[in-house]
Amino acid sequence: MKLLKMLPFLSTALVGLAWFGAPAHAYALQDDEAEAEDEEAEDEDESDAWYAIVGGDVYTGTGAVLRGATVLSKNGKIKEIGHDLFLPEGTEKLDARGMRVYPGLVALSASSRLTKGLFQAEPEPDFDPHLGVDNLHPDGRANAHLDTGNEEYDEVADIPTDADVLVEGQLLRQEIADSFDPFSQYLVLALSTGITTAEQSDTPVKLKRDEIKDVDMGPKNVYSLNFSLSNPNSRRQTREKLEKASDYLRRMKAWEAEGDKDKKEPSKKGVDMNYVRVLRGEVFAAFNANDREELLDIAHLAQRYRFRPVINGCMEGWTVASELGRAGAYAIVTPRTRSPKSEELVRPGGSSIENAAILHSHGVQVAVIPGNTSFELNGMTGRDLLHLPVEAGFAIRGGLDERAALDSITTIPARILGVDHRVGTLEAGKDMDAIITDGDLLHYQTFVQYTVVDGKLVYDKEEEIFFAHIRPRPELPALDPGEEPGEAEAVVDEEAPADEDAEEEAPPESEDDDEGEGADDQGAGEDDDGRL
Amino acid sequence: MNATLSLLCSLAIASSASADLLAIRVGRAETISQGTIEHAVLLVEDGKIVMVGEDLPIERGIPTVDRPDWVVTPGLVNCYSRLGLDSAAGNMFEPQVRAADELYPLQDVYRDVLETGTTTLGLYPPGTGIPGQALAVRPRGKTLDEMLIADSVYLKIMLESSAKSKKVLREAFEKVDEHDEKVAKALEKWEKAEEKRKKDSKKKKKGDDDDKSAEKGEDDGAKDDGPKEFEPPEPDAKVQPFIELREKRLRAMMRINKAGDYLHLLDVIENEKIDWFLRIPLRNDIDLFKIAERLGEAERLVVTDPSITLMPNTRRERNIPAELARAGVHVALIPRRDSVAGHKDWLQDVGELVARGMDRQAALAAVTLEPARAMGLEERLGSLDPGKDANLVFWNGDPFAPGTKIEAVMLEGAIVHGDVR
Repeated sequence: MKLLKMLPFLSTALVGLAWFGAPAHAYALQDDEAEAEDEEAEDEDESDAWYAIVGGDVYTGTGAVLRGATVLSKNGKIKEIGHDLFLPEGTEKLDARGMRVYPGLVALSASSRLTKGLFQAEPEPDFDPHLGVDNLHPDGRANAHLDTGNEEYDEVADIPTDADVLVEGQLLRQEIADSFDPFSQYLVLALSTGITTAEQSDTPVKLKRDEIKDVDMGPKNVYSLNFSLSNPNSRRQTREKLEKASDYLRRMKAWEAEGDKDKKEPSKKGVDMNYVRVLRGEVFAAFNANDREELLDIAHLAQRYRFRPVINGCMEGWTVASELGRAGAYAIVTPRTRSPKSEELVRPGGSSIENAAILHSHGVQVAVIPGNTSFELNGMTGRDLLHLPVEAGFAIRGGLDERAALDSITTIPARILGVDHRVGTLEAGKDMDAIITDGDLLHYQTFVQYTVVDGKLVYDKEEEIFFAHIRPRPELPALDPGEEPGEAEAVVDEEAPADEDAEEEAPPESEDDDEGEGADDQGAGEDDDGRL
Repeated sequence: MNATLSLLCSLAIASSASADLLAIRVGRAETISQGTIEHAVLLVEDGKIVMVGEDLPIERGIPTVDRPDWVVTPGLVNCYSRLGLDSAAGNMFEPQVRAADELYPLQDVYRDVLETGTTTLGLYPPGTGIPGQALAVRPRGKTLDEMLIADSVYLKIMLESSAKSKKVLREAFEKVDEHDEKVAKALEKWEKAEEKRKKDSKKKKKGDDDDKSAEKGEDDGAKDDGPKEFEPPEPDAKVQPFIELREKRLRAMMRINKAGDYLHLLDVIENEKIDWFLRIPLRNDIDLFKIAERLGEAERLVVTDPSITLMPNTRRERNIPAELARAGVHVALIPRRDSVAGHKDWLQDVGELVARGMDRQAALAAVTLEPARAMGLEERLGSLDPGKDANLVFWNGDPFAPGTKIEAVMLEGAIVHGDVR
């Protein structure tokens, strides 16, 4: 260490090498000090807000599970995850020993009740034209009402320009930000479920509590297309607009390749810029489709025009999973959907509990939403947003592996919303949105004990009226008197290297390790119930 | 002792100065500013309170009301009412409208409401959005002038959590900025013109023609040859109230619906240096308690209703006015219904809050001094202090207790209801 201090001008890489070279446990303390100096030099700002979730089993969502690790964040962004971290002075600590730490969940097509927090029950629209679940018309027929049925009228309908698209998106975001109610009970319920990011009218919104700043996470990332069999007119239009957009892009490419500045830029006349954005890959094309034929059509359309479709519903997706996989589709499914196939058909069809599993195995990115994407306080329906993890659990029942099930309510929806660079997993540099649970997140018994959003504790089960009275929080392992949880964690790790070694020696497939654990837990729970 | 001496002195002066002097001895006075005074003596002269104290000796010869079983409070102030005014109006942006223009004196409601102990009313213009300016009146008088205490006591502004509502308010202040710019430009022009004029006058009549033509092109206001006062351009009538807000000649009543609205309101006006207070109607499921501490820290004034409400989505009761008062908020309470009957039940409803934990002094202030403060009349109304208007209500017992009746009401020194002799 002295040597290191004497050579402060060595490149950081060298220092890093030297640290790795040093016997880890013997020099743990000094390492900490050196690191501390390093940190201090780097971050001297007193106003920095440090937050640490200490000692939990961290399920990062990237496949890695770090037992008894600490997640440290600075000003709402994850700084570091690991063992034996140096916690700067004034770091707020959350003791998560004996509990699990997961990334915050992402809820697609959530009811506007979540962030608007109306007092009176808001009538649920029976159809969200963008990505919402259509409970009344699972086959997507509700789209029919959007069609005027008048070809002439449809022809002359305004075709949005680039500027229109931007302005519309901007207004939408402004409206969502300006109507955000940070005290809404529905917001607290979302946080109690572990949801930290929600889609509101195609736009990703961070569920912040007690503040309204920076809730808007970015522009909308999906554009809804109608390609329903029951609506031939809009089907034709969609194809036509895609063709025009594709043609425009071709002409544009040619024009650019030519490099002749004097020549006029290709005309945008009649080209719907939303479709151009879809073809450029700037936004996803979203469809509502459940029937096998429609799904196939969408898959073919996507392959022909080379875009990635997001298919909401996707009930019969399991029958055409390989086609959807080849088309690079995203599917937003509800594993508990129950609908028999038509008696007249010979082919396989209808809903299947295995839908998510089969789609996933064919390379379709599967996101899960519950049947009702709102919160129902009058009689828990068990199918509302409060049961988002449970819904993902049903996908596991159908054969989806646990890792993919967690992804289906974190990473995949984050990708669909275009915010996977900020949320969806626990990684350094991402937002400090984490939930701390008292067990496997996807198990029906598990409660979210704490929710952290942007490095701030926003939900504590024992402090809210909803679930505080149900199964009080398990007691934490006792600390030595006078010890802070953070310190204890550091000491434990230093004194008990055996544990760490054991973990390192464990089979390399840590993902499977995680799944095994989860399965064990679940098995135990079921056994108990069985005996009762 | 000192108090007695000074009283004697002043009484001596007072008695020689005016025959309008009246001494009132009651069992208890709720002064608001100095708490409760037992065996209180008040001296009233020329419609003003001259002196308040405990058991003060009264000089012989001064007419005295001696009612040891009575309780006296300041006249009640309702700062948010539309008594005697028409109701309907829509959403609008009419900040220049004055409720004074629709006042119709000599209505029975004013006489009746005075008998409920309400000696001051703040009447606001109807409508949502930004509907205009309120006035403060005494509910007595044959003409507007006789009733008027102060005009334009506050500008009513409704704000809700929506892009549209926030935009309206934001733009209103932006218009003031635009106007300020216009004024600055005009001033610059005027200064230039003035300089030129001075130069020209030095040159005498040499360049007279040039001067005239140049000025015509530059400024219509500076056509005269002599030195001219700068006349800033007239602001738009709808911009004027917001200029007055910025200059603190007008106050704003921000009407919001829920806790979240408060953050959005701050988002818009945080950097505006204006006087403002809040009006938040209470209803079941309101989550106002979530911002009680923030309101308290900022020492905000909140005009609200004397109601017990339920916590959102529960059957748990909350006494939000009490919580606000405890957090340090200036709470003003208005009758639950804006009618004469509502004014009769007013103190009973407030008494209910007191019975459920609201601080008694805060509750008394909530119907007197705090609403007066809301209208910027706290120097003149709302407490029993020397120099303030002699608006007094005489009760036959604790004003918050059920069954207590009003024995008499004094408005600016004159008994307008009941008999004190």
